[in-house]
Amino acid sequence: MDEILQEFLTESGENLDHVERDLVALEESPDSRQLMAAIFRNIHTIKGSSGFLGLSKLESVAHAGENLLSSLRDGKLALNAEITTVLLTLVDALRRMLQHLEAKGAETDEDFSALVAELKRLNNPDAAPADAAPAEKAPAAEKTEAPAKGETASATEEKGAPAASAPEKKPETSTAKPAAQPEATKSAPARQGRESAPQEPPPPPSLTTETNVRVSVGLLDKLMNLVGELVLARNQILQITGGVDDTQMVAASQRLNHVTTELQEEVMKTRLQPIGNVFTKFPRVVRDVARELGKKVRLELEGKDTELDRTILEAIKDPLTHIVRNAVDHGIELPEVRRESGKNEEGHLLMKAFHEGGQVIIEISDDGKGINAEKVKQKAIDNGLITADQAARMADRDAFQLIFHPGLSTAEKVTNISGRGVGMDVVKTNIEKIGGTVEINSELGKGTTLRIKIPLTLAIIPAIMVESGSQRFAIPQVNLQELVRLDGEEVKTSIETILGTPVYRLRGRLLPLVRLSEVLDLPERDDDQSLNIVVVQAENRHFGLVVDRVFDTQEIVVKPLGDHLKSVAAFAGATIMGDGRVALILDVIGIAEKARISSKIADVAAEDAVETRAAVSGDRRRLLVFGMGDSNRAAIDLSTVGRLEKLPRSMVEHAGNREVVQYRDDVMDLLRLEDVLGYPPTHDDDELLHVVVYTVNGKNLGLVVGRILDIVEEEVRIQGGQRGNGIIGRAVIQGRVTEMLDVDGIVRQFDPEFAGHN
Amino acid sequence: MKALVVDDSKTTRMIIGRILRECGFEIHEAGNGQEALDKLEEIGCPEIALVDWNMPEMTGIEFVKAAREDSRYDDMKIMMVTTESEVEQVQAALEAGANEYAMKPFTKDVIEEKLALLGVSVG
Repeated sequence: MDEILQEFLTESGENLDHVERDLVALEESPDSRQLMAAIFRNIHTIKGSSGFLGLSKLESVAHAGENLLSSLRDGKLALNAEITTVLLTLVDALRRMLQHLEAKGAETDEDFSALVAELKRLNNPDAAPADAAPAEKAPAAEKTEAPAKGETASATEEKGAPAASAPEKKPETSTAKPAAQPEATKSAPARQGRESAPQEPPPPPSLTTETNVRVSVGLLDKLMNLVGELVLARNQILQITGGVDDTQMVAASQRLNHVTTELQEEVMKTRLQPIGNVFTKFPRVVRDVARELGKKVRLELEGKDTELDRTILEAIKDPLTHIVRNAVDHGIELPEVRRESGKNEEGHLLMKAFHEGGQVIIEISDDGKGINAEKVKQKAIDNGLITADQAARMADRDAFQLIFHPGLSTAEKVTNISGRGVGMDVVKTNIEKIGGTVEINSELGKGTTLRIKIPLTLAIIPAIMVESGSQRFAIPQVNLQELVRLDGEEVKTSIETILGTPVYRLRGRLLPLVRLSEVLDLPERDDDQSLNIVVVQAENRHFGLVVDRVFDTQEIVVKPLGDHLKSVAAFAGATIMGDGRVALILDVIGIAEKARISSKIADVAAEDAVETRAAVSGDRRRLLVFGMGDSNRAAIDLSTVGRLEKLPRSMVEHAGNREVVQYRDDVMDLLRLEDVLGYPPTHDDDELLHVVVYTVNGKNLGLVVGRILDIVEEEVRIQGGQRGNGIIGRAVIQGRVTEMLDVDGIVRQFDPEFAGHN
Repeated sequence: MKALVVDDSKTTRMIIGRILRECGFEIHEAGNGQEALDKLEEIGCPEIALVDWNMPEMTGIEFVKAAREDSRYDDMKIMMVTTESEVEQVQAALEAGANEYAMKPFTKDVIEEKLALLGVSVG
């Protein structure tokens, strides 16, 4: 019998590989009867053979799977994520059984009754007592937790054996798997169904151990809510006892404070799940994608125990999958190519999760070919996202971020693997939706790293409290960059106005300012003595939110807004403060949109890109207009302007053959535009030189223009008539013909030395 | 005495083959219906064919239909090898020209009994 058993093990292993692959393929083309039939046949074969071989346990587990598959194949049941997950779990279970069989020559003792029950339940959905959709969903979600707990328990008992018995035990066979996916996919309906669903689910397949108890998701949510309320009550008590002398009362409230904090943390933990639950999915994804493409990829998972709130876990699953597929598809090279470039044939993909500063960081790095910044730029230019000049100015790091631009990622070559109609822009959007950020960095030839930063939970978040127009608001910490306070004279001197928009120069970068009171139409505070700027970031936009007062950061409990307020983009939710008052949580992205920040000042590459595209199509554009010579007018795009200065002519010194001025503790070269562009000199009595300061990477170049006239925002239609280098064309601005200059081009052409610095 | 074992699982072919070999058959194997037809061309009409239901390329029932259309194989008894999940389809197989069926897993005794029913003498 040994020969047959050996054949059986080999054959079944292959069959399971096929099933696994087909199941994954089926996720993409759920209607393929062919795939379903193949899956059925493979499981069927395993069942049939194990029956002959007297492997009753294997037979019974495979049989339960076969029955479910038969219903699916015959169209009696529709495949869904839950079923797929359970079927994958089945594959894992069968594989474990085979491994045990191979190592020990006998069937495993592991208990698979929960899995079998689950397979039966899925095959018989009508047996569920409730017919109402929400009611049916909720228990389903809860039920799927049963194997989770059970598996966790069995995981420990299993650990010892496979180390010896299954040397090539892959991470995907991790027992944590059954927990994650069914639960994750079900969490949303479960939450919706919370109100109406019966709290007590039908008796689940019993697999409880002494140390684990099944708890319904609805109950956990409710607990979380209650703790939220408790936190609010605690905050109130603390506020009241803050002004009380009664030491006993103070002591008691301190104790309440500590216990509440601890309780909050612990309850939060009940909702946390190891990211490994999502990670376990990737070995399969990577292998399948790699196999399909003929690539060799080794996936390494680090920090699988890092815990995250289940809702967040669910939300990052798809973006992560896309990133992983992308990395294998576009990042890692074919084995031949890798060999030629002196790399190991087998590519390396590392997924790493860890906690940092109260947030979870997930890094996905590959040692593939990296991203060619120039190619990205070229693509962006081709797609009209940026101009050649902007591309030239753009740092590689900024160019990588362009990958997240919708205009670029949808233009990406569509392949079977990653071109699933989902671009990197969607990845970014999805991550930002849960208050996360994503950054990409790459080194050509060496690899690419994506860094995702996400909050631990969405239910309680750290936020900074601010006041504007006598009302309090909470700004989520994830959006917060820094706080700037200007006092006294600074208020007047350091705020410039470009085009009616106040801007503050924060370390050399123009930061548009938005008065919160203005956006929300609140009473303006009458105080010029100080200015509080909350520097926030959202979707690559930085701007300063001017508020009246800034308070502490607090852990706030996020409460959803009522329906009537949901349409107000400026708010993300509400919270109740210690004094019982409600504070609205600001949605920074919404505010940016409301204040039209993006159309105000584009200081980020992606924003620049949008701008330029708009400009090309004859859209509104902001320009700095200046006189050149006595009668010419010229204009440049305001986004290229670092600063405007009027410097006394006496300041001009000479260094070698260059004109320079001492400017901000540095020596700034001057470039006289009239000279280099061939305009007649301006005859002006003005003792001041009008200088446009052009800044790249912290280095300044003073462009001397005739006379600064105005900043305009106009619809500009540039006409040809190119007069020479550095001049884009002519346009009618404020009713007068004005030559449009290309500052980047001019600098490159006439001051290559400066341009070379960058 | 020849027996043709048609099953996409090599394991199953080995197992059934072993049982039949014990009954005194010379075993020929095929991995699906098409291979089985090709095999028939090669070995001529066997006493019995044990045919799996579910196979890629050409299923068991398709094979039965095709074989029954060929008068060269009129003397071949066909036994469908099924599982309990396929019993409903047994009727269809019998109508298509199969003579008997055996449910997996089976033992040597079961097969001998069925063969006797079919009038195939076992050595």
